Amino acid sequence: MTKKQMRQRHNLTRRIIQLVFFLFYPSLFTAAFTGVKYIFTQLGAGNALALTSFVSVLLTLCIYTIVFGRFFCGYACAFGSFGDLIHGIYLTICKKLKKKPKKISAIASRRLSVIKYLLLAVILGACFFGTYGTFQYSPWDVFSMLTALKPRVQGYIIGWILLLLIMIGMAVKERFFCRFLCPMGAVFSLLPVLPLFSLHRDRDNCRKGCRACTSCCPSEVELPARGAVEVSGDCFQCGKCTDTCPGGNVHTGIHIIKGNEIWFTILRAAILIIICLVLNL
Amino acid sequence: MNSSFVTRAVSFTAIIAMLLGYNQVLYAREKDEEIARLEAELAAAEQAAAATAAQSELYKDGTYNGSGEGFGGAIDVAVTVENGSIASIDILSHDGEDGPYFAEAVQIVEDMLNEQSADVDTISGATFSSTGIRTAVAEALEKAEA
Repeated sequence: MTKKQMRQRHNLTRRIIQLVFFLFYPSLFTAAFTGVKYIFTQLGAGNALALTSFVSVLLTLCIYTIVFGRFFCGYACAFGSFGDLIHGIYLTICKKLKKKPKKISAIASRRLSVIKYLLLAVILGACFFGTYGTFQYSPWDVFSMLTALKPRVQGYIIGWILLLLIMIGMAVKERFFCRFLCPMGAVFSLLPVLPLFSLHRDRDNCRKGCRACTSCCPSEVELPARGAVEVSGDCFQCGKCTDTCPGGNVHTGIHIIKGNEIWFTILRAAILIIICLVLNL
Repeated sequence: MNSSFVTRAVSFTAIIAMLLGYNQVLYAREKDEEIARLEAELAAAEQAAAATAAQSELYKDGTYNGSGEGFGGAIDVAVTVENGSIASIDILSHDGEDGPYFAEAVQIVEDMLNEQSADVDTISGATFSSTGIRTAVAEALEKAEA
């Protein structure tokens, strides 16, 4: 199998997994974030923290992310998948019109990606001080209405406008929302992901001046070297680096996965689905 | 952003420990308040029981169906009245509701059983689903009114 065929196979597998989660579990991301908001609201009000179903989803996804990295973001988040779809459409249109797709530089991206932490702080601050619930401007609420096929406009105008603006960003930059705005992603990116399953590269084998992995990465991650304790908070396991590296230097901490990435991907998706079924998410 | 696993692990553990510690402190404080509150509630309940025994029945016995608009579709309920009061509320279907949201919204059933009416607050975080359940129960109770 050629490299190109491998890449296409991996891409197809990813899109199928994304579609499955989009159809059957489209609200995991927003349920988990509701759990985060709940914790801060309770803290601010001086109330005890109960294990609500939102907190359960949050805990489950956090534990899953600690073990497998941000696989959830890359494969199971309906909003992320939605963004991939829009970006794909944009690239296809660019190709048809023979126009070059717009690009944001890596340095600019890195700077902009700080915004999601600020946004997280503002939202959680509002929850803590009890002022969050008064406005209905979350583009996520509006998006979940779309997936439930029950759009409501009254009172949600700001949410719809924000969603539209986000969609424009999603079209132009891959994973625009995830990198620059997602407060749930901000939480995930701070977790202590076990280096075991995260991706590293064999720097000694790298060709001089080659930046293929970082260039094709939707998050422009500089992969840590083999054996490093560094964890990248922005890698969501899409696997493009593994497929693109001309020297095959990218791998996880487990030897047997190398060359069998597709099975590892399917396994992780299966585990997440089983968790969702067992916990009745 | 790349940073050390150890730093993250330590911070994460510390945060979880603090949240659990916070809960423990609140729990201990709540215990005393709870005892005083329960004693007051017991006295009030005894009074109310005596009152309703003398009062005529609120609802007619039987099982009544109702339907309400939840988040993603209709929610159907069956309300059973025994001896003039609501004995049980069963949710027959809730196809349009998402797992975690519905699990939260169902708490409204207990509130309605305690209040013996559909006039209760919705569940925060699951507004649409709990409103749907409430509307459905209200519709059923309308049929049950004596």
